[in-house]
Amino acid sequence: MAELLQYVITGIAVGMVYALIALGFALVWKSSSVANLALGQLVLVSSWFTYGMLVQAKLPYWVGLPLTIIFAIFLGWIIERLTLRPLIAQPILSLITVTLGVGYFLEGLVTFIWPVSVAALPRLFPQDPIRIGPAIVSQEYVWAAVISLVLFGLLSLFFKYHKMGIAMRATADDQLAVQACAIPVTSVFSMSWIFACIVAAIGGILISSIGGITHGLVDTGLKSFSVVILGGLDSFIGCMVAGPIIGLCENLGGGYLTKIIGSGIKDIIPFIIIIVVMVFKPYGLFGEERIERI
Amino acid sequence: MDLPCGTRNFDYARDMAVLRTRTHWVLFLALLVVLFTMPLYLNKYWLGVSNLIGITIIAALGLNLLVGYCGQLSVGHAGFIAVGAYTTAVLTGKLGVPFLLALLCSGIMAGLIGLIFGLPSVRVKGFYLAITTIAAQFIIIWIINHWSVTGGFVGLSVPSASIGGLIFKSEASRFYLIMTVTALCVLLAKNLARGRVGRAFVAIRDNDLAAEVMGINLLYYKLLAFFIGCFLAGIAGALFAHWSGFVNAENFTLTDSILYIGMVIIGGLGTTIGPILGVIFIRLLQQGIMYISPGLERAFPAIPAGFTSGIAPMVFGLVIILFLVLEPRGLAHRWHLFRAAYRLWPFSY
Repeated sequence: MAELLQYVITGIAVGMVYALIALGFALVWKSSSVANLALGQLVLVSSWFTYGMLVQAKLPYWVGLPLTIIFAIFLGWIIERLTLRPLIAQPILSLITVTLGVGYFLEGLVTFIWPVSVAALPRLFPQDPIRIGPAIVSQEYVWAAVISLVLFGLLSLFFKYHKMGIAMRATADDQLAVQACAIPVTSVFSMSWIFACIVAAIGGILISSIGGITHGLVDTGLKSFSVVILGGLDSFIGCMVAGPIIGLCENLGGGYLTKIIGSGIKDIIPFIIIIVVMVFKPYGLFGEERIERI
Repeated sequence: MDLPCGTRNFDYARDMAVLRTRTHWVLFLALLVVLFTMPLYLNKYWLGVSNLIGITIIAALGLNLLVGYCGQLSVGHAGFIAVGAYTTAVLTGKLGVPFLLALLCSGIMAGLIGLIFGLPSVRVKGFYLAITTIAAQFIIIWIINHWSVTGGFVGLSVPSASIGGLIFKSEASRFYLIMTVTALCVLLAKNLARGRVGRAFVAIRDNDLAAEVMGINLLYYKLLAFFIGCFLAGIAGALFAHWSGFVNAENFTLTDSILYIGMVIIGGLGTTIGPILGVIFIRLLQQGIMYISPGLERAFPAIPAGFTSGIAPMVFGLVIILFLVLEPRGLAHRWHLFRAAYRLWPFSY
């Protein structure tokens, strides 16, 4: 029983972080229908940058973490400006593969600058385990989940009330109409990438302060695609619901199936979920089903 | 501007012929002669590189049929190549099946696995399909690493290919084997692409709903595209296994899948010459990077230590981005421009 509760709580907390990363994907998809497959690499790069700031340059938290956010803003802006902007109105195939190219480049950049493949970030949160009933859960997970929830709330408010957020939603709806209303579509795109990178950076800091920085972070990014797929591509609520579900499946499956099927099953459960969702409900739980016309 | 002035189409067969003029024939025969005498003047290392290029061309042809002609994005090609490689490793290494039969079986096996993961393509496309194939890649590699038959993380050793009493042990003999299979595959891909199947693929790529309205069976042709694409991947995998003598899941990562997509895009989607040019470009670039990076590292001690391992992905990523932004039609388009300019010379049009 204690075991089960522990899996559940850890799963939900990890799932929240997945959901946070997935949010970055949904942001870009919603405003520009570009599928960002470089998600994992964005997480990886910003984690390593945090490492560079906090450990290598020995900056205090209140300097290092804001610098990481500024780096993420810059990264988002430059990716949109140099690779996505010239490809506006190109077929979706090019838009997808260009993000694959970006991811490839970023992965090379990380190996280039930080050849050591594993490193640990300083622990940001208190580590004393907390007891919830019979289960013992590391406090870090709870902190990560809370921060993800807060960010989700902030982003929802931003999209609901801020002028830019409303412009972004409008762009998602109809780019031509938005241009007619004198909303600069290009800066909306740029903004959505900046937000995506910030969210990826925060997700990266949360995950890597718990589990260290490895190339496995790329896989974490790929796993959060299962969140996007299950929740529906264009839904923030979908991300926040699907994230914990994926985290739960992963942790419960990892906990109970390892004995039956073999080690490492935990890592492919999200991918199996992707295939299952694709076959039975391709537009996810909350996604908008697109009706196509010729 | 596809043909020189004065070439006429007297009948349908001549209109469809690949080699139209006497110059075509001369150039083609010259190419064959140069290709099959290459072992005479290339050393062992470069023969190995050419073998790898030949194998990669087969895989890229398959991916091109799938992505370039049928428009179904697959980011799991390395996984399907792995299926082919492991099938032949198990069949020839453990069960003693003859090489040619195993080669065919590898292709069919990879094709069938491709069919399974291609099934969602009936309902979804674009990004959804990309994610499905990424998932396929991870699931395939996981199964390979955790199944006793496939040797787990250790991998399997593969005997040399042999047909009858002929054993392909030396690099030169393997070169002939690989180049023959590659030539056959190029012919197959070319003929598929310009026949009924290829036209159906192109129709599906351009607008699948319109294609369906015209009476093209979407389910059949999409799955056929997956089967053929993955079949060629399986053949490439089998040849790779026999060429390297050893298979390990490390050889078939997601990064490789992305690189295959890069090759097809750099070469030019939806052309037969494209994948060939793209593969040669990327593989030679790889050799070039391997050649210059140790020298650069010695010349500039200030370069970070990760230079040698990090520079290759950086360059490849950059090349993919640059081609997509600056020349989305790839090297094949440049080649066509060059041909047209050559024919019209000294006039500009």
